[in-house]
Amino acid sequence: MSQMGKAELKVPGGKLLRALSTVKEGRIEEVRITGDFFMHPEEAINKLERRLKGVPSDEESIRRIVEVFFKSVAPTVLGAASNDFAEVILRSISEAASQ
Amino acid sequence: MSMEWRLLDLMVADCYTQMAIDEAIAYARGRKEAPPTIRLYRWKPSAVSIGYFQSLEDEVDLEACKRLSVDVIRRISGGGAVFHDYNGEITYSLIAEEGNRLIPADISESYRVICGSIIEAMRLLGLESEFKPINDIISGGRKVSGNAQTRRYGSVLQHGTILVDFDARTMFTVLKVSKEKISDKAIKQAEDRVTTIRRELGRPVSFEEVRDALISGFEKTLGIRLVLGQLNKAEGDLVTKFRERYASQEWLRLR
Repeated sequence: MSQMGKAELKVPGGKLLRALSTVKEGRIEEVRITGDFFMHPEEAINKLERRLKGVPSDEESIRRIVEVFFKSVAPTVLGAASNDFAEVILRSISEAASQ
Repeated sequence: MSMEWRLLDLMVADCYTQMAIDEAIAYARGRKEAPPTIRLYRWKPSAVSIGYFQSLEDEVDLEACKRLSVDVIRRISGGGAVFHDYNGEITYSLIAEEGNRLIPADISESYRVICGSIIEAMRLLGLESEFKPINDIISGGRKVSGNAQTRRYGSVLQHGTILVDFDARTMFTVLKVSKEKISDKAIKQAEDRVTTIRRELGRPVSFEEVRDALISGFEKTLGIRLVLGQLNKAEGDLVTKFRERYASQEWLRLR
């Protein structure tokens, strides 16, 4: 059975990030990242969400995927940093684990 | 000699048309099928717009919007949810090709430059204001303008609001901003964070007066001459096409 978790993170001096994750048997089924931040190009967010699909839901794996995404795709983000995305995703996953 | 840009003067239309026009110009400008453009407009009926990345259900009370005949639309630009009050707001948009010498390549820097035009317009109206990164303009510490930018089709599109009047009660009703929304306390707090041209100047200010100031603000700050124009045929066709997407449930519920 998959578990769902939701989290939000207000970046100090920046924007609000939200993540909605579903996890099944230790792997991410889906992550949806929403909020009032800016990412250019906007569609890059879909790439990040796709890359997270099927990834083991441990902290190290998720941090690595997010970091590689920001380095390789290199979107311009205003109001949040790479770490903030990793953080809100991780929070939503621990939220899912506690369900 | 200063560069000529096109002015599309204060236009009243629904949210789907307004957003479709902004996108159509951005598309056409990227292909050199339209001139760099400043638009001024108002939203009728009043509408809520949400940022590209926002979750519709997290941000908008759809029942309340329906009850109050407020339209709802998702923008192609990021940023936050906005209540565009027909009686309280003028919106502008600026469209130029990427690489235009007046618009910095750096996005944060370009917000500062474009917002400089709004700040100049405020000054012409007698109101001191300043840019507050990332994308706001404040007066006396209170927000008076919010701005959002996207870059696509080879163009820079920035659109933003200028608050002339503020209906906090309706805004709280249509946006899911607070659990105890529409409480008198919440409304008071919002009024402490947001201000309007009419409030700051303490007199009635017409939309025409704000429009005139905006036109001068853009001309003076960017060093351009605005020449009244209209949408061309290619843009008009794109508006029809894009409007359909903006009005679709699929687009509205994208996230």
